Order: sequence, then structure tokens, then C-alpha cells
Amino acid sequence: MFMHIFGYRLKCLARDREMVFWTLIFPLILATMFHFAFDQLMGRQETFRPIRAAVVGSDAYRQNVAFRQALDALSRPGEGQLIELTVTDDREARRLLEDGAVSGVITVGDPIGLTVSQSGIEQSILKAILDEYAHTYATITGILEEHPTDPAGLLREIGQRRSYTQQISFSSAEPDTILNVFYVLIAMTCLYGGFLGLRNTTDVQADLSPQGARRSVAPTHKLGVVLYDLAAALTISLAEVTVLLAYLVLVLRVNFGNQVWYVLLTCLAGCIAGVSFGAFIGTFARKSEGVKTAILSASSMTMSFLAGLMIVNMKDIIARKAPFLSYINPAALIADAFYSLYVFASHRRFFLNIGLLLLISAAMCTLSFLRLRRDRYASL
Amino acid sequence: MQVFRAYFKVMRASAGAISIYVAIFLGLSVAFSLAEAPQETGDFAQTRTSIAVINRDGEAPLAQGLADYLADTSGIVPYPDNPEKLQDALFFRNVEYIAIIPAGFSTDFLSGRDCAVQKVTVSGSISSRYVDMRIDKYLRTARLRHQYGGDQSHEELAAAIRADLAQETPVTVLPSSATNGSEREFVFYYRYFAYAVLATIMMGVSAIMMAFNKPDLRRRSLCTPIPARSANLQLAAGHTIFALGCWSVLVLFSFVLYGRNLLSSGLVWLYCMNTLAFTVVSASIGFLVGSSVRSNGAQAGAVNVIANGMSFVCGVFVPQSILSKHVLDFGRFLPAYWYVKANDAISGLSRPTASALRPIYGDVLIQLAFAAAIFAVTLLLTKERQAE
Repeated sequence: MFMHIFGYRLKCLARDREMVFWTLIFPLILATMFHFAFDQLMGRQETFRPIRAAVVGSDAYRQNVAFRQALDALSRPGEGQLIELTVTDDREARRLLEDGAVSGVITVGDPIGLTVSQSGIEQSILKAILDEYAHTYATITGILEEHPTDPAGLLREIGQRRSYTQQISFSSAEPDTILNVFYVLIAMTCLYGGFLGLRNTTDVQADLSPQGARRSVAPTHKLGVVLYDLAAALTISLAEVTVLLAYLVLVLRVNFGNQVWYVLLTCLAGCIAGVSFGAFIGTFARKSEGVKTAILSASSMTMSFLAGLMIVNMKDIIARKAPFLSYINPAALIADAFYSLYVFASHRRFFLNIGLLLLISAAMCTLSFLRLRRDRYASL
Repeated sequence: MQVFRAYFKVMRASAGAISIYVAIFLGLSVAFSLAEAPQETGDFAQTRTSIAVINRDGEAPLAQGLADYLADTSGIVPYPDNPEKLQDALFFRNVEYIAIIPAGFSTDFLSGRDCAVQKVTVSGSISSRYVDMRIDKYLRTARLRHQYGGDQSHEELAAAIRADLAQETPVTVLPSSATNGSEREFVFYYRYFAYAVLATIMMGVSAIMMAFNKPDLRRRSLCTPIPARSANLQLAAGHTIFALGCWSVLVLFSFVLYGRNLLSSGLVWLYCMNTLAFTVVSASIGFLVGSSVRSNGAQAGAVNVIANGMSFVCGVFVPQSILSKHVLDFGRFLPAYWYVKANDAISGLSRPTASALRPIYGDVLIQLAFAAAIFAVTLLLTKERQAE
């Protein structure tokens, strides 16, 4: 009996072209668009490029040996190079600035000044460099006024330019924000599996469709029918998500880490959540087919939005401002499962996500079965 | 006027599906405009990198002084000392730099032992260099003051460092570029405008077209005494009024949100012109979709794919400046590309001069040409179908 019901259900669902469009083709198209849109930002290491600056080669500049040496040290090619310096006259410097060829123009006077065309990180760094010179100058004059004991040692210490920071890392994974968009896309596809679950509930309830009426008079056990249908929907949904995953990993080269089985387990848990969500809506919203579909797509979109589909750091905002939401939102749980596989070495957080997903699915399934069982119809 | 009246009856039936895009767009715009703090223009604003500072050295004056200095010069985001939470913060770029002052740092530093502030960053990024500079500067000054500044208590030391670091370099901002175009808040509104107007108008126009193109209904209207030309003109009038209605709602809403800033920018008429051109394009696409699809499902699919697709590839959702060249080369064949290009150009204007406006006019004309071409193709298609 299982093979019979399961097989026909599989055919029914797979031949619903509109459904296949929304649950498979649409996510594939979205994935391609994300890929094109974020192409430039993906997987690329951020690199620091020396900031281009001009200095006005006035007499004051030439006479200020200490400042010239400081600038030379910062523009020497190599690891510590911060700026790329052009020495030029006043008019030319201004022209370079207006054309955007340099980020700022340094003018030596009393005090040393900076001219920029807009605010930004590069301009801020230039200012920080000049600030540093002024600060060091203040320190030296301050110390020499009060304790002029060892000026030579003082200058030697300044020349050393010691660094006091040390890079450490919480995990070996390079933080790549854009990855989350693809994780949420898979989550969205899992939740779209809800359309399959929704269709199942329509086809099993006697007052909603002629198929439901016919199947209600058949002598098979209701629980059996519901479970076999569920298995068929799950199979289709998982197959679709796997196709999407394969497309992301093999064609678009999205990094899911290398724990294949855990990734697939996440997909499975996600599909279970999606299909049960659809079944839940299908049994509890006693409205027309169109309204149910609208409820399902609107709620799965909202969940994906809260997990970061449209705004990259939405997930983190929710996790900090309303942590409760991220524990009950299946889309966030799925995306977070992928994320924790990618970032963390331990699986504690991963299994917390999967456990919560399964718990939510079980609750929705139980509720919808309780609602479906023992239905009697006075007239059809 | 029967057709014209029927037009708005049909429209009312699908009002929910049509207004959903406008509602979402307006809702998000309000949320964003509330979230964005008004930006000062004209003065130099020092960049404040978002960082998290974890001070494990407690109350020691040097560590406290460093933490205070970082708080004054960067945007501190409070986070607990929990590696998992901090990792999340960095991954989602809530902070770009995590500085950890290890326990016993002050003692080690002052007794001359090797020690360092630990950092977790996006390696090689420009903002991490910026924060490095600040930390190094504070500690180098501390080293000088401590070694050569004679006997002093730790509190005196921290105060002396702060006094040295108080000086600011004077910064002049070139007057001609004092208002930085890309920073204005309504720029985003008018970029996303393209998506909202495209989705809404496509949805509405195609819904009407589908209703009037149902084979039975069509046959029936063909044998009424209203001439086909008149019926078509009434439909066209309906489309025009609907499209203009959507456009004016969205434009008026931008006045409500950004009123004074937008009006004083002197760019309103340029934005209006550009959006109006794109509205015509949207209507033409809706016309095309409406005459090619039959079912509601196909219509929803087409609207979603076209609106999202064009928005992604042409730079509505992601700015054109960060799209790769290949994508842009492809986008050139789509009208939204020219809308965004003109929109960026308008937003970058500080003074509308004739030479600066010419390329914008060009982009608008290209959009209109797209609209004309799409209309022509649609008419050709319907002609062919009639012959069936």
C-alpha cells in the first residue's frame, strides 16, 4: 500500500508545474542573481591599499626635516606602507584632489593642515597620521621640558615604531558576510517545501477537494495516508533542495565548509520543517486555497527576511535585539546551522539548531494530525 | 466609457495583490529613514569604526585609559566577553574590530615585558589598519611617557597620555563638494523606487490585460457596438491613469519622508523626470506580460522574476559601483540599468549645469526608447495572436 500511495503522490506533486517553479526554479534563479550581484564581494580578501596623498612642497615643508622623515617612513614601500605620497605645488595638489587622484592634500604650516573633498575612511586615516605626528611632537616637547634627561634614548624609542597589536582568531573560517544570504536562500527553499505540504492537506480533506472526498471513503487508514503523503512531499522537497545545494556548491562555488553529511542533515531537517509548516497552515487556516497560499508565502518570506535574506546583518540584529525570535524562526535556525558548521569547530550550536527545528516540526505535525483525525462530514 | 469603468472594477478586485509591493516598499522606507540618523554636511566627519573592546585587565588605569580612548575615537558596540557572540558580531560586520586587552596587560606593559593587545579583525581591511594606528599611538605615547617622563602614578600617566593625544589636525573641506551626493538619504529611496514601481505597475497592468484577454470575454467585446479603437483607447487611458497614480503616490511619499531636504536639493524635477520615464517602461513591460501569460501563477512568476532579476542585475538592490563589469555589460541591455545610471548621476550633482545634465537626458531617452520598443513588440504579438 505504501508504494502505491507514495508513488502516485510523488507523481502528483512532481507534475504540478507551477509548484515546481516556485519550489525549485525560482530559488535557482534567485541564487544566480545573488551570485551576479555579490560576485565582486564574495570570497575576496579585503586588502589594504596605501592611501594616495599630496603634500604641498613649500619652503616650510622642506625645512621641517622631522616631518619629512616621518612621511618618508610611512610611504616606504613594504608591509607597513600607509600612504603613497606626491610632492607638488599648491595648484597642482588642488587639481589632483578635485579629480579624485588623491584623497587629501597636506599643507605644512603652523599647525600642519589637511584639505579633503569629502569625509571617509581614507581621509580619516590621513588625519590620524597627521594627528599622530602632532601628538608625538607634543609628547616630546612635554617630556623634554619636564625631564630633559635622556633625549637620545627618547628619539631612539620614537624611531622604533613598535606595534602593540597581535592578531588572534576565534575560528579558522574567513568571515564572509555574503555567505549568509545563500544560507538563507536554502532556508527559504526548505520553507517553500510548505507548498507541497499545503497541497497534501488539500488533497486529503473531504470538504476541500474532490480528491479528498474520494480518498476519505477509501478503506486505508487516515494516519497511513497522511504519513505516506508526507513522505512523498519530503522526498520531492529534499530532492529540490539538494539540486539547489549542488548548484550553489558546484556551479556558484559557495562555501559550505566540508562536512557534507552535516550539511545534508541540515537540509533534511529544514525540509521536514517546511513540509510540516505547510501542513500546519493547510489544516488550521480554514480559508480558500488562494488565501492559504498567500499566508504561506508571506510568512516564509517574513521568516527569510528576519533571517537576513534581504538585509545581510538582519540575523544578527534579531539575535541581539529579540533573541527569542531567532529560536522559533525556522529560517533563522536553518541558516544558523549552516553558519555554525562553517564557522565553529564544535557541533554544540549546530545540534541545538537542528534539535529546535525538529521540535518545531514535530509540534506542527502533531497539531495538524490531531486536527485532521476523526473528521466526519454531514454532507459533501 | 464602459471599458474605462470596467477597468477600475477589475483593478479593485486585485487591489490587494497590487498594493502589497507599494506597502512593503513604503514600510521599509519609513523604517530606514527612521533608523538613519540625519547626516551633517559641510564639516569633516571623522570615520568611527565600529569596534568591540573587551577589557580583561579591569580597573588598571592604563587599560582603562586605552579603552576610554578607543571609546572616544571609535564607535563602541557593547558585547560580552563571549567568543561565540564576538565571532557572530564580526561575521555580520556589526563590529569590524575586536580589541581584547588581556589580564595583567598594564603590569606587563609598565614593567617593560613584551605584551600586546589581541585583535580579531577582517584581515587586511582598511578599517582594521585605522584602529591599529589608534592602539599603537596610545601605547607608544604611554611607553615614552613612562620611560622618559620621570616618576608618576599610573593615574598621572594616563592623564598625561590623554593630554598629549588631545591635539587635532585642522581639516578643510573643499567648498565645491561640501554636500556629498551619495550620502543623502533619499538617494536610496529613489534607487529602490525602480523595484516598487516596476513590480506594482507590472502586476496591475498585466492583471487587467489578462482579465480583458480571456478568450470568451474578448470575443464578446468584439461583437459589441463599441469600436475596437475606442475600447483600446479607453484601456490605454486606464493604464495611463493607473501608472500615473502609482508614480504620484510614490513621489508624494518621498516628499512626506524627506520633504525639506529633497526640495532644497533642487533636484526634484530631475528625479521626477527619471522616475516618470521608468514608469512608462514599467507600464510597457506590464503590457507585454499581460498579453503573454494566461494564468495567475504564471503572472506572479513573471512579475517576480522580471522585477527581482532586473533589480539585481541593473544595480537597484546592489549599487552599480560594486557590480562586476560582466554583470554591468549585461545590464546595459535592460532599461533599469539606465534608470539607475541616471539616478546615480542626479544624486551626484552638486549644481545642475547644462553639460552635467546632458548625459542624464540621454539616459532618460534610452529608457523611453526601451518603452517604445517593448510596446511595439507587444502590439506585434497581439496582432499575430488575433490572426489565430
